[in-house]
Amino acid sequence: MNFCLVGLSHKTAPVEVRECLAIPEDLLPDALRAAAALPDIGEVFILSTCNRVEILARAETDDGNIGPQLADFLARSHDLTLSELQQHLYEYRQQEAIRHLFRVASSLDSMVIGESQVLGQVKAAYNVARATGTLGGTLEEVLTRSFAVAKRIRTETGIAASAVSVSYAAVELARKIFGTLEAKRILLIGAGKMSELAAKHLLHSGAAGIFVTNRTPERAQEMASLLQGRPIPFEQLLEYAAQCDILISSTAAPDFLIRKNDGQRLLAERKNRPIFLIDIAVPRNIDPEVNKLDNLFLYDIDDLEGVVKSNLQERLREAQRGEQITEQEVEKLMRRLKTLDVVPTIIDLQAHFEQVRQQELERMEARFGSLTPEQREAVEALTRGMVNKILHSPISHLKTLAQHPDGLKLVETVRRIFNLKH
Amino acid sequence: MSHLWLRVALALYSLGLLHAVLTVIRRRQKVFRVALSAFALGALLHLVSLVEDGLALQHFPITSLQEAASLAAFLLAGAFLLVYWRYRFQSIAVFVFPLVFVLTLTAALERNTYYADIPLLRTTWLYLHVSLIVLGNTAFFLTFIAGVMYLIQERALKLKKPWAFYYRLPPLETIDDLAYKSLAVGFPFITLGIISGAVWASAVWGPEWPLDPKVALSFVTWLIYLSLLFARWSAGWRGRKASYFAILGFIAIVVTWGTNTGVHSFITP
Repeated sequence: MNFCLVGLSHKTAPVEVRECLAIPEDLLPDALRAAAALPDIGEVFILSTCNRVEILARAETDDGNIGPQLADFLARSHDLTLSELQQHLYEYRQQEAIRHLFRVASSLDSMVIGESQVLGQVKAAYNVARATGTLGGTLEEVLTRSFAVAKRIRTETGIAASAVSVSYAAVELARKIFGTLEAKRILLIGAGKMSELAAKHLLHSGAAGIFVTNRTPERAQEMASLLQGRPIPFEQLLEYAAQCDILISSTAAPDFLIRKNDGQRLLAERKNRPIFLIDIAVPRNIDPEVNKLDNLFLYDIDDLEGVVKSNLQERLREAQRGEQITEQEVEKLMRRLKTLDVVPTIIDLQAHFEQVRQQELERMEARFGSLTPEQREAVEALTRGMVNKILHSPISHLKTLAQHPDGLKLVETVRRIFNLKH
Repeated sequence: MSHLWLRVALALYSLGLLHAVLTVIRRRQKVFRVALSAFALGALLHLVSLVEDGLALQHFPITSLQEAASLAAFLLAGAFLLVYWRYRFQSIAVFVFPLVFVLTLTAALERNTYYADIPLLRTTWLYLHVSLIVLGNTAFFLTFIAGVMYLIQERALKLKKPWAFYYRLPPLETIDDLAYKSLAVGFPFITLGIISGAVWASAVWGPEWPLDPKVALSFVTWLIYLSLLFARWSAGWRGRKASYFAILGFIAIVVTWGTNTGVHSFITP
């Protein structure tokens, strides 16, 4: 197996370089066909996203030229010289190439580790390559395995577990406090992009309903209809607050809207049921002293960003386990590819038939005694001819099959029905 | 008695111990599935062993400290499985698995200490009294663990610094729910356990039965839990305050359990 991966990503190239190398979706089939037409290339796959452009190819022979050839192809197809591009490119060969693909698909190589978008992009690129006909059995196997690896890493590690945006961090914290958000009420004070987003996420996560208030009643009305909530008068804010479990505040008020004694009163009215206060406003709307009260949790914008930062670090830690899984999976795939190679299968198949022929000849001789040399020759020729005729079609098919996306599955089937041991 | 099944159960519980150690030091959760299955099977064999003991002794096996430890371990294992089934609390395992292991280990060791074989004390009351107390203490142990988990999680949320445990521990409200339910289950058992002890003592010694330190301490423990339950009901106590009380209560239980003098002096009758 001669794999080679050449490309660049956000780690090696600035956006100016990436954007001029990116291949638009509608031009991808042409690019694939052009790459497949390069000498010695058996199969080819191209991934082009805003963060990376990569070509993965399987070469027929391993003479070390394939990497530079692919690099040159990338440069030429964008009217660049190789020397301009060289400093940004990386090249991986054999299992290094497969490991890289697995890491990309599992989003271990992404800017935000654990993001789910890249897997979809890899899948889309795979579909294009498959439709264009530049995938053979081997790359097909490698790519479909990368999807499975990505899924495994996602479920077995926590790389995608914690929120990495402020609005999702708010939802996550609400879950850490309340468990389920069902039957929980939200109070949205003021308006703002981020508070609106947080409220939306909370509602999507099952929160029961939302009150909206604003200094200008029209604005409150507007937001309420947008979020399917209920507008309430700004002056009665604290009366309604006691009915709510989660408060999001982002007004331009110069003073605190909620102070420590307000917090105490809210808790008393709620019989100490917990309250989660989110203060996105700058200057802050809620007195930070409030956080000292039991059963009350106050997060301002810096706190939320701090949580996001810790979550990113947690993802990095979890990524270590993802790397281990990648390592195992690469080993496993390499072993599997070795056994499913077409050439050894053909040899095994021939050996198997030859063995059967020899056994049958021995049995015949044991029954009829030794034959005359002419008779022996005739029987030899007859049986040999039969075996060759029978095997002719399967062998020629096996040879061409390796070029098809389903090739490896058929090789596996052949091995199984003839009981060929590895 | 061979205690074969008890030893097999102990071996299975040790997998749980391994899980707890791995979770704390290496942040691995992989062993959990295996440990959980082993733990459940261990609990089943533990039950077999308890039944076997009971048949061999011709009475409920709860007359020595080891037997009580064995029963406590089994009940705790059962309670854990119930809680896991109900709440999917994985993190509790870190606390429960080691304790079950240690209790079972105590039970599986040589049993040459005291048996309550004074005919005077050998009545149905004995079984009733000890069983109720062990049941109540098992429930209170869960209240205690919930209290500890609550404090850890609450601290992480208040300090706004998510640390390792923050990602593993269940939500505050769920922990508080467990704390409340286990308290509500444990309290009647402890109350009945203390009443049965008093009735038993009156039956043996008449109205002037000796007041020993353990009796006094268990009364203090009972008062702690009574006030906790009362504060939860009437004053809406929950969360941090309730957690501190639950921990205090359990410390009182441990002190009471360790005080074995007077009528409860098991070692030297």
